[in-house]
Amino acid sequence: MMHLFIVNQSGGLIHHRPLGARAPRIGTNDWLRIGSTFHSLHAIAAEASPVKLPGNKNSYNSEDGIESIEANGIILKCLQTRTGVKFVITAEPGTPDIELALREIYVLYTDYALKNPFYELEMPIRCDLFVQSVDALIDRMERNSNAGGGGNLGLSVKK
Amino acid sequence: MTVHSLYIFDRRGKTLFTKNYSAAARQAPTNVDDEEEYLAEKRKLIFGMLFSLRELTGSLGPEGQLPAVYSVRTGAATLHNYETRSGLRFAMYTNNDIQQTTGKGDGKFTSVREALQHIYSEIWVEFVVRSPLYRPGELAASSQSQKGIGKFDIRSTNFEQKLDAYLSSMPWFDSK
Repeated sequence: MMHLFIVNQSGGLIHHRPLGARAPRIGTNDWLRIGSTFHSLHAIAAEASPVKLPGNKNSYNSEDGIESIEANGIILKCLQTRTGVKFVITAEPGTPDIELALREIYVLYTDYALKNPFYELEMPIRCDLFVQSVDALIDRMERNSNAGGGGNLGLSVKK
Repeated sequence: MTVHSLYIFDRRGKTLFTKNYSAAARQAPTNVDDEEEYLAEKRKLIFGMLFSLRELTGSLGPEGQLPAVYSVRTGAATLHNYETRSGLRFAMYTNNDIQQTTGKGDGKFTSVREALQHIYSEIWVEFVVRSPLYRPGELAASSQSQKGIGKFDIRSTNFEQKLDAYLSSMPWFDSK
């Protein structure tokens, strides 16, 4: 996996992090631009579609939008929560379990960022525990996939 | 798997061809005053989205890769895209049942991406570009446009018939 970035309800970038050694280097200004561009395109994709889901709500009961992009050399997956926070992971094509990682990272966000009394909503995430747990999660997933089994990662997944 | 619609854009964003296949795509929303205007806006949205996504994936991806968007999936539908060297974009909306888009189809199963490539090289090039009436840049924007004189109208070719025949032969094509 290459990068994780998190966009808040208004389109501002609140977190970005490289997830592997092979992740390309991207400057801070570029990240801010990427975050807001993605935020708008996420909504435009649902708007431009010839058919829409009832009430424009998808299966998670959040607004419909981009869930996945496949491009040359990169794939991107997005999870939008009911509050409009978007978790996005970019990865090399063929990387397994990205949606699983997104849901787990959402759980980590609620545990280590939202429950942190000093964290202000919609502000950039500056919680060490969140960063550490994301790194640990990615480590676990890499080790499990290297050990030749995508099977049970021992993670709790609540839909 | 349902194919909803097909769009062909030139490098500047002008729509060269568009067709709705499924019943869902053909239903225009009733709360819109000017349908023509609404459809034109929608086409611009699609082109703009493909353009911006290309820039986005270009900056996110590894260095030295030519950025190209293959598909965009939302909860409602998937947009498949094939872009030629000349900047022509073939974009097709389908529902979300399609399994593989980027992969090469295995022998019998042609992926949507391969189909779009075939539409370009075997149908567009053969029946439109090679038409004796064709002049690049002079394509009439849509079949409803008033300008007829001096502009090449795609209805003077077999393009649409050949396209429909080809798509109907695809095992995944189903316009309900």
